[in-house]
Amino acid sequence: MADSLAAAVAAVQSLIGDRADAWDLARLIPVPLLRELGAAGLLCAQVPTGYGGLGLTSLLGGELTAETGRLCSSVRSVQTSHGIAAWTIQRFGTPEQRHAWLHRLTGGELAAVGFSEPGAGSDLAGMTTTIRRDRDEVVVDGHKAWMTAGHYADLLVLFCRYEGGAAAVVAPAATPGVQVRRIADPLGCRAAGHADVRLDSVRLPADHVLGGVGLPLPLLVTTALAYGRMSVAWGCVGILRACLAAASRHAASREQFGKPIGQHQLVAGHLADLLVAEQVATRVCEHAGRCWDAGSADQVIATVLAKQVSAGQAARAASTAVQVLASAGARDGQVVARAYRDAKLMEIIEGSNEMCRLMLAEHALTLATEEGQ
Amino acid sequence: MRTADNWAAPASPPADGSASDPETVQQELLRFLEARTRTSWDPDTDLFAAGGQSSLFALELVLHLEKSFGISIRGTDLRLDNFRTVTVMAALVTRLQQQAAGSQHG
Repeated sequence: MADSLAAAVAAVQSLIGDRADAWDLARLIPVPLLRELGAAGLLCAQVPTGYGGLGLTSLLGGELTAETGRLCSSVRSVQTSHGIAAWTIQRFGTPEQRHAWLHRLTGGELAAVGFSEPGAGSDLAGMTTTIRRDRDEVVVDGHKAWMTAGHYADLLVLFCRYEGGAAAVVAPAATPGVQVRRIADPLGCRAAGHADVRLDSVRLPADHVLGGVGLPLPLLVTTALAYGRMSVAWGCVGILRACLAAASRHAASREQFGKPIGQHQLVAGHLADLLVAEQVATRVCEHAGRCWDAGSADQVIATVLAKQVSAGQAARAASTAVQVLASAGARDGQVVARAYRDAKLMEIIEGSNEMCRLMLAEHALTLATEEGQ
Repeated sequence: MRTADNWAAPASPPADGSASDPETVQQELLRFLEARTRTSWDPDTDLFAAGGQSSLFALELVLHLEKSFGISIRGTDLRLDNFRTVTVMAALVTRLQQQAAGSQHG
């Protein structure tokens, strides 16, 4: 298993290399490269080997995500969206659906997931995209906003209302009625291919609906997002590692007032803060990963905690790293400037800081009840 | 290494492949619910009725059932009607254990 991780890490390092800044400036990742990552199983590494995946545990899959995020948050965002798609199919698909779709997701086809809508962000109860049954077909109508990797995706996994409950449906992006419009100017993860997707009478075979009728929207979304939160949390660990490395390297070599700036105490303090941030985020992600691998119900809160801690640490640390590099880091094409923009988005997606804090507060209240009794 | 559909939990149904006694499942579930919600529950109370438990809690229940009883709950079995009360959850556990045993032996 450790060998699988080492090989996966080496493959990601070789495919991404030092090109993240160029992709960020171009706002695009070459599609053949994404397909190569996908065909090597690196975009959904926890998919079991029987479906062509790498079969990594949550903990090792997390380390791979962190390494991807250290190199390029745009690729890591594609990995997150594709990975949620695979996880949703694993969890909600029938055996036939898992067999059919997961092999495609480990075979070079790219997938993206759609939750948010113009009127439904944190409050997904406001979701209006609908699946309607029509004999042996279904018809999808609606509008998904900010689909990460939507620009690249061959397959869209869309969360919709369906016959009084909710369902996820797999829609090939080439289906008539699907209109994908790339968001060309996102603040961060600029090459992640964010897109707005309009769905106008999109007809699909009924067996493209995962898991059938009667699923509650909150459970469906919470289950799918749990994977995404782990992926974002580990991606933030990667951002933290990139920032720590860049700031330390700069502080050791840049001299002012006759010595390396890392020997000036105020700058040294920043380096300590970066080290602490990277360690705190790593440990909280490792804890959540172990809860997943043990199948423990504690993984639910541990995942929210990991996402909240890692995103906050990454956003603060990226700002600190820009401060340490100063003019050497304060322009596009520099790793810390990219991290500064990318990390801010991590405080927004997959459950905003505010939503995560509400969930953690709710958990805290159940603990308080125990003390009071 | 995950080779097939074994990501859910280390499977630990009764060693002889039989299903857990529904009464035992109910007692275990009531203990979990009481520990998690700090409230005692009747086996037939709707946990998700108005003002009831959150979607995070629903996911916790799914995971707890999978780990405690060595089952994997997927697809249509994830509908909320299977989790509303302790009684229906015990029935779900029994059915999935019997199905798993049937597919292993048959």
